[in-house]
Parts: sequence; C-alpha cells; structure tokens
Amino acid sequence: MQKREEHMSSVLIKNESRLGLKLVAPAVGIIGLLVIYPILFNIYLSFFDVQLNGTKTFVGMENYTDLLGNPRYYHSIGVSVIYLIGTVIGTTVLGLAAAILMNQEFRFRNLARGLILLPYFAPVISVVFGWQFIFDPVNGIYNHVVVDVLHLTDTRENLIGNPDSALFVVIVFDIWKHFPIAYLLFLAKLQSVPKDLYEAAAIDGQNAWGRFWHVTLPELRFVIATVVLLRIIWNLNRFEDVYLLAPNVETLPIFTYYQAFAGIVDQGVAAAISVIQLLVLVGLIWLYVRKVLKW
Amino acid sequence: MSSVILRNVNKSYGNLPIVKNLNLEVKDGEFVVLVGPSGCGKSTTLRMVAGLEDITQGEIQIGSRAINDLPPHKRNIAMVFQNYALYPHMSVRENIVFGLKKSGADAETIKEKLADVSEMLKLDDYLDRKPADLSGGQRQRVAMGRALARDADVYLFDEPLSNLDAKLRHHMRTEIARIQHQYNMTAIYVTHDQIEAMTLGDRVVVMRDGIVEQVGTPMEIYLQPTNTFVATFIGSPAMNLIEAKIEGEDLVFDNYRLPAAKIANVDLQDLKSHDTVLVGIRPDFFEDSALSSPSDNLFEFNDIQVELVENLGFDKEIMFKLGGEDAKARLDLRSHVKRQENISMSVDLNRVLLFDTSPQGMLLNTGEV
Repeated sequence: MQKREEHMSSVLIKNESRLGLKLVAPAVGIIGLLVIYPILFNIYLSFFDVQLNGTKTFVGMENYTDLLGNPRYYHSIGVSVIYLIGTVIGTTVLGLAAAILMNQEFRFRNLARGLILLPYFAPVISVVFGWQFIFDPVNGIYNHVVVDVLHLTDTRENLIGNPDSALFVVIVFDIWKHFPIAYLLFLAKLQSVPKDLYEAAAIDGQNAWGRFWHVTLPELRFVIATVVLLRIIWNLNRFEDVYLLAPNVETLPIFTYYQAFAGIVDQGVAAAISVIQLLVLVGLIWLYVRKVLKW
Repeated sequence: MSSVILRNVNKSYGNLPIVKNLNLEVKDGEFVVLVGPSGCGKSTTLRMVAGLEDITQGEIQIGSRAINDLPPHKRNIAMVFQNYALYPHMSVRENIVFGLKKSGADAETIKEKLADVSEMLKLDDYLDRKPADLSGGQRQRVAMGRALARDADVYLFDEPLSNLDAKLRHHMRTEIARIQHQYNMTAIYVTHDQIEAMTLGDRVVVMRDGIVEQVGTPMEIYLQPTNTFVATFIGSPAMNLIEAKIEGEDLVFDNYRLPAAKIANVDLQDLKSHDTVLVGIRPDFFEDSALSSPSDNLFEFNDIQVELVENLGFDKEIMFKLGGEDAKARLDLRSHVKRQENISMSVDLNRVLLFDTSPQGMLLNTGEV
C-alpha cells in the first residue's frame, strides 16, 4: 500500500482520504454506540459488586483480587491456551495444505474449491448436533469404528462428556469449521505469486520442497501472520462453538459466562475478566496493526 | 560449458503444434539467438531446454547427457527471465548467490563470484537492497548477475531486454555481448528484436510458426535470406520486394529492365522457367546516383518520384513507388532529396536477390552473394 501511495499524486491522495473519512463515518458512529459505550460501562462495572436486581456496591479492586486468587480462572486460561495453540496451528496448516492442493490444475477444481468452503458456511447449531452424534457413546459412528470395526479398544468412551477429551474434540471441530477462511486467504495470495519465481527457483536448483520453502512461504508470510493473529483474536473470544458442542470445556469466554449468568451470579467478576481479556486483545490488535500490516 | 543439441524436437499442446521437428546444435561457447515474431515457438523451445516445458517428441542433449527426463533443477542451467523473476524477499546479494549456494559452492568461491559479478555489472552499491527498491535496469542487471554467478553448462536468455527503455536496452545489449565474449559461455538467447539478434548472435535462428526458416551467421541471414519471410523479417526498414516479369533475360517492372545476367549467382536457364519473380532490394543498397561512382554493374532507377523523406540524422529514409508498391530507400546525409522531387537512385546488381512467387518465396540466387 505504502509503495503505491508514493507514486500517487498528492491531490488524489487528499481526495481519497476525504472520501475515506466520509465512508467510515457511519461505521465509527455505530462502533461508538455499540462497542465503545459497553466497553466503558464494563470497565465501570468491574469495580462493583453487581446484584441481579441491579443494585451495585463499589468494591474497588476486590473483583480483581478475587479473580486472581481463583484457581478456576487459571485453569480456564490454561484451557484457552491449549485451545488457541491447537486451533491456530490446525487451521493454518490445514488451510495452507488445502490452498496449495487447490492451486494445482485438475478436473472439477472449481467444484472442489467451492465444496471446501461448506463447513465455514454451515450454521453452527446444525453441525454441532452432527458432531455430538458422531461422538455419541452409544450410537455414534466414532465409537462404532474404533471399538466394533477396528477393535482399537474394548470400552466405548464418551469423548464429549469427559472435559479433558472434549477439549480436543472442540479443537478438531474448530479446525474443521474454520480452516476454510485460512484456505481462502492463502489461495487468494497463492494465485498472485508470479509463476516465473518458481521457474527461477527450479533453475537455481531447488526441488519442489525447496521452491515451497524459498518462494511460497516467503510470499505468504504476510498472509500467514494475518491468519495466525486473526485466528488468535477470534478464538480468544470464541463462545458459541465451544459452549454448544461441549459446555464442560471451560475456556475463558465460557468461564466468564458461568461467572456472569450461571450458578452464583457475579457480574462484577465477569466484568473484571472481560477487562483483562480486553487488554490482551488490544495488545494483539496493536501487534497486528503495527507489525503485520506494515510488511 | 557444454554444447546443446536439439534433435527432431516437437512440442504441441493437445493437437496444436507449437514447435515442429526442430533440429539445432549449439556448439560449446557459441551464442545462438532464436528470433521470430510472437507465437513462433522460440520461447517454447528455450523453455524446453530449461525443462520448464516438457518435450512432446524428440531429444535434447546438454553435453553428452540426454536431459529430456531431467527436471530443471538437475540440468545445471542458468536463465535470465523477461520479468527478471528476482526473489522479492531477498537482498540483491542473496539473489545473486542463491543458486550458487544451492549448487554446493564453498564460502570462498561464493565470495569471489559475488565480488566478480557485482563489479562487472556495477552492483556494488546495491548489494543490500531489495529488488523492490531498484529501477528496471538495475533489476535486469541483478537477474543477469544471478545467472552469471552460476557455473552453468548453458545460459538461457528469455527476452531479457524487452522491458527496458531504448537507451538502456542498447547499453545492456553491449554489456551482454561483452560478458559473453569474456566468459565464452554457451548461450541461447530468445528475442523478437532483430537488432539484438544481429548484434549478439554468433549464429541466428529465424523461426516462424514453429519451424526454423533459416540458421546462419547474422551476415548470411542479412545477405542471403533463404526466403521472403526471412528477407523481410531481418533488416529495417524491410527489404523491398517487387514483382517482375521475365522477358528474355530481363526482369521487367514499371519502365525498368534489369539484366538478369548481371545479378550474382542466378541460373538463367532456371530463371526462364518462371513467368514472374520477386526482386528483392534492401533499402540500404540504394544510392543517390548523383553521388555514386560509375560502375557497369550499377542499375539506375531514374525518374523516381520521392513521396516522403524521413530525416534520421545521418540517414534518411525515402519513400517512393516501385512496381506499383510502396518502397523504401535509405540514403545518407550527403544527398539532399526533397519531397515531390524526381531523383535517380542506383543499385549494385550484385546485391539484388530474386525469389520465386510460391507462397514460401524461395531464394533463387545460389551460392555466395
């Protein structure tokens, strides 16, 4: 982007930035109303003990000290970290592999390119039921294959019922559901890599693996960084996929939800969790804007 | 360095033939230029040598190795691409040594080669820059450097100068010629630019529609083109071709009767078997009669009406009609012809070529012209 602007006349740049301001004005207004105000209110709430009937008592930093003393909070951070590492690496690698495959010439390529996107477009709730059925301990195909067909074990397991294994089911589900977005971004970039770079690398003695390493990866590094960071940002907040499929997997958003709306309702503590999470997200977004977009 | 041999090489996409039964031997240390209009198969031929296109039929050999089934990275070739194809994330230095490193050269050799190449191509000041920060001419030099740094058996050039402006193109053309002589490298160079073909090639291969029309030294191609395609493709402005009737031993058009007996290497008996022939005269071979010294082999075209004069400095191009067709002559600055004037121009009959009127338009002169 910067490179192009250098060649653009200053008059046009000025024109364009004025048009840009006009175009983003409505969005800025809506974001102000729907995002900034709730965030500020959330920060305000985090210093209060909030009752469901609406009465609030100022408690200062107590919500934060409570939270930092709560082992369930650290547990949920641990679960979130595993969830993030698994899903981010999984979607990136699978998305990249699919993009490279779909960048080859073969029959029905356009059809295949479209089909790959299906998991991404399917409504969460319907595919969640499908997945739950797959892992159902009595009737599910997973147990049928593992126990009855392959005889890998003797005991039928409730993978989703057990929080430890459910975490991995949730990770695999997220990879399956969200790798198409990584795939789309990678494929778009792959198609714009000049063919003669590969030819030059081949002539410089690189085999297919060397060409991937020295041409494809460097050309993709901006997109890879974008995918990784966006996936971290999105999945740090991911609620519905996890909660619907396996509510016993306590990632940070699920833990926050339980604090705010289930059992002993404590919206002040929930607000405090959100504030801490917000700080992490702001850090990540800063990294994205300052580093990745500058490449 | 090695020789390159192409034996009965064919290339087709589906049923569409691109290169038809091509035979060519590039000798060790020879610079061969493939030239022709776009779509003639010259780039495809080069890419088959590189291994970037597979060979439908036939055999290609580098040195004594048949390379048909070798992938490009095992052929030990170097190539300069039309769009440079520099690795954008690498500095100039890394671009130049990339292939050299891969070939297993030791650090000392790499250092020496880099210093060598960067000095020769005047890249010393740019070694740490990225390709995006270079001008077109500098990128082109880096692409050259990357190829030259390699110790390749054969160097391939795919229209390397076509993205440069005229001045830079001329400069780089000279550079390439100099480097080629210095390194004595075996090279195949593809271009559509006949000046590059003439100035760079030890030998020139003129191609059309996947077929080799003629192989020869630049002067052979210029003086003795085997058919009208080569005759008009090489040389600028293009050779004038005028249809003439055969009457006895004369070639007749307009009011002119050219004595065939004075044209070099023409078999009069054979000539008489034709009704008409094409007379080929290069614009360069016309002289202003007022300036030419008399000789009995000169034929004078008198009463020529000048339609247009284009002054190019030392040269001027004269446009006029000959045999009812547009014709051109190139005169030098000594003649002062003007538009609409009537002048006389003479041509050395030794320089006149005759072609038959078949679709191929084959040359009728035999032997040295």
